[in-house]
Amino acid sequence: MAMLKYTINRLVRGVITVLVIATIVFILMRMLPTDYFFTEEQLMKFTDEQKEAALDEAGLLDPLGVQLIRFYGNLFTGDFGTSRRIQNGQSVVKVIGSKFAISMRLGMIALLISLVLGVLLGIIQTAFKDRFLDYLGTVYTILVNAMPSLVTYSLILVFGSRILGLPAVYSARTNTIASCVMPVACLTLASIAGYALWTRRYMVDELNKDYIRLAKVKGLSQGQIMWKHVLRNAFVPLAQYLPASFLLTISGSLLAERFFSVPGMGPLLTDAISKYDLDVVQTLVIFYAALGILGVFLGDVLMMLIDPRISLTKKGGGR
Amino acid sequence: MAEATKSPLESVVGKSDEELFSFVPYDAAAAESIGYSNYSYWRSVFQNFMKKRVTVVLACVFLFLFIFTFIALAIGKYDVNNLTTNSAAAFTKPNGEYWFGTDNLGRDYWCQVWYASRISIELAALVACGEAIIGVIVGLLWGYVHALDGILTELYNLINNVPTIIYMTLIALIVGQGFWIMAISMIAIGWLTMARNVRNLVIMYRDREYNLASRCLGTPLVRILSKNIFPYLISVIVLRLALSIPNTIALESTLSYLGLGLDVNTPSLGILLRNARNYFLAYPYLLIFPAAIVSIISITFYLVGNAFSDASDPRNHV
Repeated sequence: MAMLKYTINRLVRGVITVLVIATIVFILMRMLPTDYFFTEEQLMKFTDEQKEAALDEAGLLDPLGVQLIRFYGNLFTGDFGTSRRIQNGQSVVKVIGSKFAISMRLGMIALLISLVLGVLLGIIQTAFKDRFLDYLGTVYTILVNAMPSLVTYSLILVFGSRILGLPAVYSARTNTIASCVMPVACLTLASIAGYALWTRRYMVDELNKDYIRLAKVKGLSQGQIMWKHVLRNAFVPLAQYLPASFLLTISGSLLAERFFSVPGMGPLLTDAISKYDLDVVQTLVIFYAALGILGVFLGDVLMMLIDPRISLTKKGGGR
Repeated sequence: MAEATKSPLESVVGKSDEELFSFVPYDAAAAESIGYSNYSYWRSVFQNFMKKRVTVVLACVFLFLFIFTFIALAIGKYDVNNLTTNSAAAFTKPNGEYWFGTDNLGRDYWCQVWYASRISIELAALVACGEAIIGVIVGLLWGYVHALDGILTELYNLINNVPTIIYMTLIALIVGQGFWIMAISMIAIGWLTMARNVRNLVIMYRDREYNLASRCLGTPLVRILSKNIFPYLISVIVLRLALSIPNTIALESTLSYLGLGLDVNTPSLGILLRNARNYFLAYPYLLIFPAAIVSIISITFYLVGNAFSDASDPRNHV
């Protein structure tokens, strides 16, 4: 019962946050010069009156308050509007619907690979702490963290297409699997390092605790200690971020998708802003914010489910 | 009667108070000499830092590269501001005339690469300093002053929940593109993380007994923040700074690549890689030179920053 109340409370607050974010973005977008409303061709040909008329028709000359009320009115009836220039006249839901599956598929594959490899690397590093394999892993983590991702992507591109002969551009029709390899490699490279870093950090912290010494004294083997105690406890803080990571695969990756010309969600937001496609921007922002908030909430719940010591509804014993 | 004038101590020891104790006159020099130790914070930091040979070497590499970005532009045969396109010389491999070869328009690559590296370092350093100054000041007040906590937390949530890319795109489209615009807009968003970090630490130290005592004795707010709390934060601030430099370089290159960063005519890492995107499969030197230089700078700075952060933690001293 307490849990239900807590859930409702969190969700209500989440909805309010989403609406506030939508309002901020709404106001920010109206600060954009209206020149972006037109294509370059229109900008040259149209007279000032024609421009005024076009803006007026789109309702962009009304006071901000009126526009905001209209926006919320449409939103609550489930109308997310239509795209203007990304895909002419298509409803926004359709535009997103045609793109998110591509991003999500790439993202999910990348996430699964990096989760498995990253955690595995973290475990190996902990097991061989302060030895060669640990240092090797650390060097990898540092390299990936410190190098600009654009540079690593470029290196992957050169390596992949010159030595392995993979296609440099994503294509949905021919050779889909081969053309996915490089985008997925780019996405996994950094997140493997992230998972390895945190797995190692949490596992080393856990190894230094007293109950591990007890387990050793009791005569458990190193493998059993690692598998049954250290990894399971160290996984709890990692698990918190998993739902958010899974949900946000939908949003795609801006740089990776642009770099390999993947027609996914990643570049959609910036494109929509620079093309003054207000409805698309607004919908995407609401969508991403909702996913983000939901992800954090699910992360908390997941953490509570796998670690019975953690409770979201009970007040802590401390101050 | 005589018993009454005797102090309790005298009746036990058999000597009067005057014999046992004497007044010590106030002496400024003597007062200072008490509690003096040979410890100096910054010297300890320096000593700890110098102990690790690897980081000292890396710091030298970083400094050398940074200085060399200036020298390289001076000794190069072409001026980066007066590059002329020369299609006959396009894609020249590195040789005695063009040390790093030429790009697709036949422009000298040496001066562009070094200029881009310098731009990247300058931008990153500027953003890191700006973030640190604003972030630390706001973070200290945010953590220490209860009245500000609610307002600043809400502000943080509002700004932080809108995707960064929206701000950057809007700034690029509304204000324009350029070095200073980019620096200011990055600072305007980057200080939040620093402030949040500092705030969380301040809350940890705020109500310790020594601060309570200090407050009771009437120490002014500024002094409590700067002398009692700030020293504890230095190592974390340094760590954040060390991370911020590679992050800024990466963000700059990403944004410039997407056409939302620096002006197209300013050579910067993102712009160079964007121009080279279609050619570097055939001419790998177009990728390797800028990538190598910027990576070395990022990595050395990252490692030096981490080492310096360890050295600046007073718990590792002595």
